[in-house]
Amino acid sequence: MRRHHKAILIITLLITFQCYPARVSFLQENDAATRRAKEILRQVDDMWRGVSSHSIITMRVKTAHYSRELRLEGWSEGKEKTLVRILMPLKEKGTATLKSGNSIYSYLPRTDRTIRLTSGMMVGSWMGSHFTNDDLVKESRMEEDYDPFISFEGERDNQQIFEFTLIPKPDAAVVWGKVVAILIADGYIPLEYYYYDEDMNIARTITFSRIEMLAGRLRPKVMKVVPADKPDEYTELIYEELELGVPIEDDFFSIARLKRM
Amino acid sequence: MKIFSIASRNVFRNWRRTLVTTLAMGFAGFIMILFAALMQGLLQASEKNAVAMDLGDIQIHAEGYRDDPDLYTRIDNADTLVNEIRQIGLHATARLYGFGLAAAGSASAGVQLRGINTSTEDDVTQVHNHVLQGEWLSESDPKGVVIGRKLAKTLGVKPGDEIVFLGQATDGSMANDLYIVQGILKSVGEEVDRAGLYMIEKEFRELMVLPTGGHEIAIMRPDRSSDLDEATARVSSLAGEYETMNWRALRPVIARILDLADSQMIIMVIITYTAVAMVVLNAMLMSVFERIRELGIMKAVGVTPWQLMLLIYAETAIQVVMASVIAVVFGWSLSRYLEENGIDLSSVADGASFGGVAMDPVWKAYLTTEAVIIPVVFLFIIAFIAVLYPAVKAAVIRPVSAIHHR
Repeated sequence: MRRHHKAILIITLLITFQCYPARVSFLQENDAATRRAKEILRQVDDMWRGVSSHSIITMRVKTAHYSRELRLEGWSEGKEKTLVRILMPLKEKGTATLKSGNSIYSYLPRTDRTIRLTSGMMVGSWMGSHFTNDDLVKESRMEEDYDPFISFEGERDNQQIFEFTLIPKPDAAVVWGKVVAILIADGYIPLEYYYYDEDMNIARTITFSRIEMLAGRLRPKVMKVVPADKPDEYTELIYEELELGVPIEDDFFSIARLKRM
Repeated sequence: MKIFSIASRNVFRNWRRTLVTTLAMGFAGFIMILFAALMQGLLQASEKNAVAMDLGDIQIHAEGYRDDPDLYTRIDNADTLVNEIRQIGLHATARLYGFGLAAAGSASAGVQLRGINTSTEDDVTQVHNHVLQGEWLSESDPKGVVIGRKLAKTLGVKPGDEIVFLGQATDGSMANDLYIVQGILKSVGEEVDRAGLYMIEKEFRELMVLPTGGHEIAIMRPDRSSDLDEATARVSSLAGEYETMNWRALRPVIARILDLADSQMIIMVIITYTAVAMVVLNAMLMSVFERIRELGIMKAVGVTPWQLMLLIYAETAIQVVMASVIAVVFGWSLSRYLEENGIDLSSVADGASFGGVAMDPVWKAYLTTEAVIIPVVFLFIIAFIAVLYPAVKAAVIRPVSAIHHR
């Protein structure tokens, strides 16, 4: 019996070693694909941001209980810094949100106070929209938090597209089970993002439309979020203006600056 | 009458045994009265904290609100309904609830916003009498808010300090305003202590853009002894399609704990009085055996077995009466003292709670008539049962063998 076990062990070892070179080449191949996927994703991330950006955005929110329209002005620098100020409506005019690294600060003109949002508030809605505060923090970190691979490449609906599947890295603090992103192959213009929850049920869809010339190239001007459990509701972001590579002062993204605006 | 004079003479003949027996019974009675008063005190305090601080006897919600407390799930005709309930002789008040963030300095915490109408709320709950520091809400100062004690600690605020509220109003806009902490509550219950932020209804409606309706109606019976189920049924018929539940259904765990306390009391009585019964049985048996010759002579001169039995019972009755006096005097006075002063448990059980209901750090007794009468009545019953055997023994004594008994 004992000799038997030994034989099995040796055979197992032999098989493992024989397979080893094959596995290495598979990993390398996979690596190349991953690198390509990551590279494309980086370009998509930069679509609205670049090194720095300035934009005017109209946000339309429709829920079962209210519809509202906001006009926002935003600045960004790199991946970590974003500042958004409300221009309209009057009631919330001047309210500003600063994202710096993993923190979100809100300046509230009505009370003249700046509040750092607690972790409990991160899942809360941002300005009554279907975006959470957490979305703002995580917005441009797809490449860091997910392992991407190209799950489809070719023609669909008369368009050459890429379909990416993004699986969260084991240690990433994300709420999604996976994200499926569909891009137009030419120019990597995003078309649709599908967000799945941890049970792999679809949780929300982001659709991109009105692909027009914006800041020197073709970009989708409209981004529409629809929660899967409330298909009648949506939040729509419309880029009215977008400038990339604008010079921004060093201390622009600071709490002190939030008030002064 | 003659039997009583004989009995009292017999009782005081062996005064040491009488003293021990009487003291044992008296002490047991005293302990039972004290225990009953303390138990009642705990029950009253728990029920008060469970019901009178926040819950009320009966609550009305829109269907589904309790599972998912959504700002939009409201009782549309809340004010009319409150008036109708008040007309059938019950106290009622409508409440509004919201959620958001409160911040003071660099500290912030999630809060449960409570919009209340002080004029009706103060009839229903006692929370306005439960302010630790500062003052309760006033309709004249809409920016003054009252918060739970743990929340005050988290935010590091005291009365007079500013807090900022940030939340989302019903129209999706930002609900944000500056408030002054006007009061901090004593321990009321886990939820309120940790996250409760009370403000007046008018201010809540403005802040959260919620012009009509209410999230909850809380109802209190002015007469605590009236039937809860009957009141629930009456409210339910007024509330129509809305969900009506009484506190026993809303907090079944607390209701069970309070019910169990009654049976605990009975178990305590049985254990203590079984011990007392043994003492009485032993003492009376001794006194019968000791007097077998004397009892035999009594029988020989024509005393009937019934009269002998009556004699033994009379002797017991005298001792129980003395014991009852001791029990009532000491039990009543100590219970009265604890009703005023209570036992201070703050060093061991400060901020303790069970089932989400805060316990008072001072345990006060509550003396009811039953708490005095039941232990005394039980003492008589137990003693009379215990003495049955010695009494029968004395009654059936045979004169000749008794006289020759050694």
